[in-house]
Amino acid sequence: MLVEVERIDKDSKEVVLIRCHEVTEEVREIETFVKMRHGSLSGTLDAKQYEIPVTDVYYIESVEGKTFLYTSDRVFETSYRIYELEEMLKSRYFLRTSKAMLINLMKIQSIQPALNGRFTAVLSSGEKIIISRSYVKALKAALKGE
Amino acid sequence: MELKRFLIDMLIMFFMLSTLITIAVSLSGSVFDSGASFGYGAMMSPIIYAALCVLPMLVMWSRRELTPKEVILRKALMLVLVEAVIMIIAFTSSVIDTGRPAVVFALIGIVFVIFVLANIFSWLKDSVAARGMNRDLERFQKKHS
Repeated sequence: MLVEVERIDKDSKEVVLIRCHEVTEEVREIETFVKMRHGSLSGTLDAKQYEIPVTDVYYIESVEGKTFLYTSDRVFETSYRIYELEEMLKSRYFLRTSKAMLINLMKIQSIQPALNGRFTAVLSSGEKIIISRSYVKALKAALKGE
Repeated sequence: MELKRFLIDMLIMFFMLSTLITIAVSLSGSVFDSGASFGYGAMMSPIIYAALCVLPMLVMWSRRELTPKEVILRKALMLVLVEAVIMIIAFTSSVIDTGRPAVVFALIGIVFVIFVLANIFSWLKDSVAARGMNRDLERFQKKHS
């Protein structure tokens, strides 16, 4: 694929345009990367497409093969897989807390002990998310900045 | 939960129970049968009891994440199974005087107390860890906001 960078004047709107024969996985990855750099994720709600700022996402959950983005008051479905989002959002303070869940560390209000060696993350929205004991070590390390 | 992690938990519980059963047998024995004397074989009984009591822990095993309600239900089932194991041991043992209802009820009570204490210790350990994580979380959020 030929890559071109064109300088434009300050008055024009900056655009990243991908001209391709087919929307392949590679194209999708480039699109995702650009959107992520911009700080947003694509999601659908009531058949409408939205660009959700990453900072608005409290947590991400995978349910029966579908991935959902949870904000303070809305739930968006996204085409990304949880493992893709985990990789993409590492630098955005998102961390895996169970097999099917990623949590935004900046949205955690407090952490409480739960039964059986697990913990509960109380989000600033009031929601409670279980932190599986397999991921507690990684959470401790992330919070310590390791 | 990983099977390896689960087996390590069972091992930790085994050692914890061995200690607590030894203390419990010592205290209850001094109350109900203070004049009794035992051979070296008796030293093995807390270990055997602990090993048998750890087996009901298998009801907690699950590949998927259990909900808090499921954890409570399974813990209750585990307690019932532990009590059953202890009763089987007591009624098949010639050393324990199960003819005296006080002994049977004391055994049931001791098992219950040990079970509750083990869970309280575990909860306290997690509370300390949670306090540490909350401190780190506050620092983390201040640094990155």
